[in-house]
Amino acid sequence: MKHSFYTSFAAVFTNEVLLSTKRVAPYVLIVLFAANKVLWWAKGPAVGLGWATNSDFNITRDYTGFCFLLGLPIFTGIIMGDPIVRDFRLGVDPLIFSKPLGRAAYVLGKFFGNFFVLVCCQSAFAITAFLLQWVPFSGMVVLPVRAVPFVKHFLLIVVISHLMLAAVYFAAGTLTRNAKVVYLLAAAFYPVYIAFELFVMKPLPVVFRILLDPLGFNTHREQAINPWQQSAEFLNQYVVTYDVSSYVNRISMVLIAGVLLLIVCRRFSIAPLNEAGHFTGLKLSSATERIAYAAPSVEFLDLPFEASLERDRITLPKVTSTRGRPAPFSKILAALGTEFRLLRAERSLLVLISLVILLSIVNLPPHSMVPEVSYSVVFATNTANTVLVLVIGLIVFYTGETIHRERELKVQPLVWSTPVSNSVLLLSKYFAMVSLILVLVAVVSLIAIVAQLLRGHALDFSAYMAVHGIVLVPGILFITALVVALNVLLRNKYAAYVVAVGVGAGLVYLYNTGHTNWLYNPLLYRIWTYPDLTTRPMLINRLYCLGLCVACLAVAHLFFPRKTR
Amino acid sequence: MLSIKDLTKTYSSGVQALRGVSLELSPGVFGLLGPNGSGKTTLMKIVATLLEPDSGTIEMNGADLIKRKDHTREMLGYLPQDFGLYPTLTAWQMLDYLAKLKGVNRKKERHSLVDALLERVNLASERSQRLGEFSGGMRQRLGIAQALIGEPQLIIVDEPTAGLDPEERLRFHNLLSETANENTVVILSTHIVSDVSNLCSRMAIIRKGKILAACSPRQAVEELKESVWEGTVPRDRLTAFKSEFNVISLRTFDGDARVRVISNGQRPNVEFTQATAVLEDYYFDLVNRQN
Repeated sequence: MKHSFYTSFAAVFTNEVLLSTKRVAPYVLIVLFAANKVLWWAKGPAVGLGWATNSDFNITRDYTGFCFLLGLPIFTGIIMGDPIVRDFRLGVDPLIFSKPLGRAAYVLGKFFGNFFVLVCCQSAFAITAFLLQWVPFSGMVVLPVRAVPFVKHFLLIVVISHLMLAAVYFAAGTLTRNAKVVYLLAAAFYPVYIAFELFVMKPLPVVFRILLDPLGFNTHREQAINPWQQSAEFLNQYVVTYDVSSYVNRISMVLIAGVLLLIVCRRFSIAPLNEAGHFTGLKLSSATERIAYAAPSVEFLDLPFEASLERDRITLPKVTSTRGRPAPFSKILAALGTEFRLLRAERSLLVLISLVILLSIVNLPPHSMVPEVSYSVVFATNTANTVLVLVIGLIVFYTGETIHRERELKVQPLVWSTPVSNSVLLLSKYFAMVSLILVLVAVVSLIAIVAQLLRGHALDFSAYMAVHGIVLVPGILFITALVVALNVLLRNKYAAYVVAVGVGAGLVYLYNTGHTNWLYNPLLYRIWTYPDLTTRPMLINRLYCLGLCVACLAVAHLFFPRKTR
Repeated sequence: MLSIKDLTKTYSSGVQALRGVSLELSPGVFGLLGPNGSGKTTLMKIVATLLEPDSGTIEMNGADLIKRKDHTREMLGYLPQDFGLYPTLTAWQMLDYLAKLKGVNRKKERHSLVDALLERVNLASERSQRLGEFSGGMRQRLGIAQALIGEPQLIIVDEPTAGLDPEERLRFHNLLSETANENTVVILSTHIVSDVSNLCSRMAIIRKGKILAACSPRQAVEELKESVWEGTVPRDRLTAFKSEFNVISLRTFDGDARVRVISNGQRPNVEFTQATAVLEDYYFDLVNRQN
């Protein structure tokens, strides 16, 4: 039988595409990207400023934003990080690697299969933009229908940038065989990219800035026009062209991706990663003189108890089981303890927590700042704003991990067959996550207090208590409850991630366009000042936030898949 | 006494996993024997409150196990066919956690129970080892240990000896026999016939979601007394022979076939001798008749 590279590659490629068609995440991404394009089309600046929605300028502007915002690099990480890890996790690896399959065909088939799916998802944005040319909108300028710019700019701006990112995530996931490393990289994308731009790229000569920028932004900047200083007519007729430096940048990204894939092909091994050393020998044959056998079915013999070892004669002690009212409380404590142990073992969480602490230190108010009320208020407010934004990501991703952990590890039948109520199972996870985040808030606050004292400012502890107690804590309680409910309702952590990120992005967009009504702003984004904290409307708002939190938990309890009666 | 009546279950995919299963189980070890995909695990999951039946009832000593799930879980010890463990916990921590969930709140009692269980399943020296580092057999033994927490009155073990070496398998049989007393119903689901004949006072054979037979292993073998024959048939006559007789097993060597047939009182030919009936004969005879 002939096994060419192409046959094997095609088999792996098509299988990856097939597997992706059975997953929820790609469909949710398609909906999210298409919905965002509609949103940008209807609510973006084009209508107000008279920019043609299908002009070269507007198309590239949208694609550049799409490429960087919307958490797109994170989605790339989610899709590209674990195709090979998944085979090992599901135990399919012996079945695959026992076949005459080349390493390159396997690795490249996996990479391009998933990258194809990713590009299909991303193309929902471009296709929606293309189709919207036929949808009239009052006051909107639309040039005659065109197709080439949508395809050309999509390939050069979005696809090539994400090819390189995809190769980075794929290499990290495959070589470490740990999807969490990829999630960590994905979560760290924005701080790393911004730091890279500020500290590495900025001092470099222009040529290096052009060559090394993964998203090609420096290429655009060198030749960018300032749209705010140009007339709409000029922008609508403006043709975006790519000069040599742009092409060099794009080609260098493709080459970097190629080198990374080459490294993966060379370094990828099917051998277990450092596991052999952890296994201990089975001490099964302490009675080596006795031949152990299963009695033949032909005879109905008494079992050989007389041949039993010492341990076989151990009787299990009598125990008292607590039932009734005190039981749930002790069970919540037990489950909470275990949840903490399990969360503590998540190394990526520890790294992310360190990152949050680091970023909150970096984000402390500057020395030159002059406070309106007091230094404590400024430090507390600053800490609250920074921490809230950062911990939302932690809550979204780790609550998903926590809620679905039993099912993924197949511990569910053991735990669900015990006499615990669903509220115990849910609340233990909820409180574990909330407690962890509150500890993090306490640590960050402590750092802010120490920093404040080191700078010689008087400490007003009540300011910290008020800001954190009134703004931060109810927000954390609500967000965690919302994410618990999302995970229970959607039954899939990836779908929950996408919905949470999508809803979050949509809300931030709304808030930034001035729609900050407290009814859909329970986290008080941009709508509070320190004097507001002790007012009656604030009390009502906080009660409303806690009410939402209880409602989310009630929904999660109601739709929890385990039946109790 | 556990009473299962007219249990049916059809999955959303359209697969009819159970078709009117009815069983009466008295205290002791009850064997549920059947090929893969026969509906054993579905039945076990329903009894263990993890799956809802479409119709039917399950009662134990008058209590409805389907409607009173919390009550069922209080008296249940369940070892699933396919289960996982928290890889970052140690064996001791895992058992301690499950004992707490079972309501064993008194610390001293719980600790001595966990120690005794680890000792019984030969994991005492691995008590502080992370479960992620356990081999398949060690995980299975820990699964057995957790099923025995809290003196369960109903123990469900689904394919429990998979992954165990012969010695541990025998030990598990001993442990299960000891656990099954006058107050405890143990349901052993397996496709290993010898497990049933070694352990069970009663058994049922399930196939395609239906109970084909429910009796004691002894009765089953009695039914085939003087009906099992063994002999050699030339390979070229094998096809004709198989169409004429109920062939239970067949092994070929040196151009001949050594066959085991069931023939009620009638010797297949003079070269055949009567063989002692075993439970496998009953099982395959029943399955063949259904085919």
